[in-house]
Amino acid sequence: MHAQEPLTPGTKAPPAPPPSNDDEWVAVEGLDAHTVKLKREYEAEVEQKVATDHVHVIWAYGLIWAIFAVYGAILWKRSLSLGRDVDALRSQIDKRVR
Amino acid sequence: MKRGRALLCYAFFAACVPLFPYCVNRVFLETPIEAKMGTVQKIFYFHVPMAWMCMLFAVICGVAAVIQLWRSSPSAEAVATAAGEIAVITGLAVLVTGPIWGARSWSTPWTNDPRQVLTALLWLIFVAYLLVQRYGPPNADRLAAGLAVFGMIDVPIVYYAVELWKSTHPTTGVVGSLPSQMWSSLWLALAPLLLCTLGLFFVRIRQERLSQAMDAAWVAFDRVGSQPA
Repeated sequence: MHAQEPLTPGTKAPPAPPPSNDDEWVAVEGLDAHTVKLKREYEAEVEQKVATDHVHVIWAYGLIWAIFAVYGAILWKRSLSLGRDVDALRSQIDKRVR
Repeated sequence: MKRGRALLCYAFFAACVPLFPYCVNRVFLETPIEAKMGTVQKIFYFHVPMAWMCMLFAVICGVAAVIQLWRSSPSAEAVATAAGEIAVITGLAVLVTGPIWGARSWSTPWTNDPRQVLTALLWLIFVAYLLVQRYGPPNADRLAAGLAVFGMIDVPIVYYAVELWKSTHPTTGVVGSLPSQMWSSLWLALAPLLLCTLGLFFVRIRQERLSQAMDAAWVAFDRVGSQPA
């Protein structure tokens, strides 16, 4: 820690501390050992949950394909209905021709 | 020509068969997990292509509806109907996957974000378009076409909503800012979804054209039958 000296008008500001590297080990200050342990456990739990949260992805992916499957089934049903309509018209024309 | 179109539909579906497993493998196993959001960010690879396709088919529907109004073209009506249905299907996929992603990363599925609200509005416009077209009175197709034009106008507003208003949604430039592995996986994920959707789109156009031809054939048949011998 840099000692903070009071600034007086006309004096130069102290140089900024060097940027800290995230990978460097930094001593924990102001927390007791038990709190640090709990905090680390909590962070590990969150990290694990973020890395293995497959439920949301499976739901989203599954629902997309369910929507497409339902639409595909509707199209198939429509094509069957159109086929029946063509057959009905054909039989009506045959009856009239006879 | 008609046989060629049918073959094109089959070609689109056939191309999806090898592309889907490859795409799933690429997105879930080869693309790195995003550092801040974790695994749930994988939803991005099909949520965003679905949103793009929803906007694309909304524009196709709107343009076809303008041609339908202008020239009274049954072909344009068939294209508009098919595009409207695809816009509803893809829009529903966007509105389902977005809140699932939001529930995990924003801790709430719905934030009344401008883009969310406008996408829901776009979807409702096209649902209304299909309902009016199907259950409306005679000549309701012109009213439906007007709705489709309104839907098309909503598309650029949805796209630029994140720039125009304060939003929790990522900005329009997020795709360009992605690392190359994620960026290339997104484009790869778009390919099978687009091919499958185009296949369904062309099948639906064919059905609608056949349905129009059948209606005309029944009318002609009844007219001939009612004439005195």
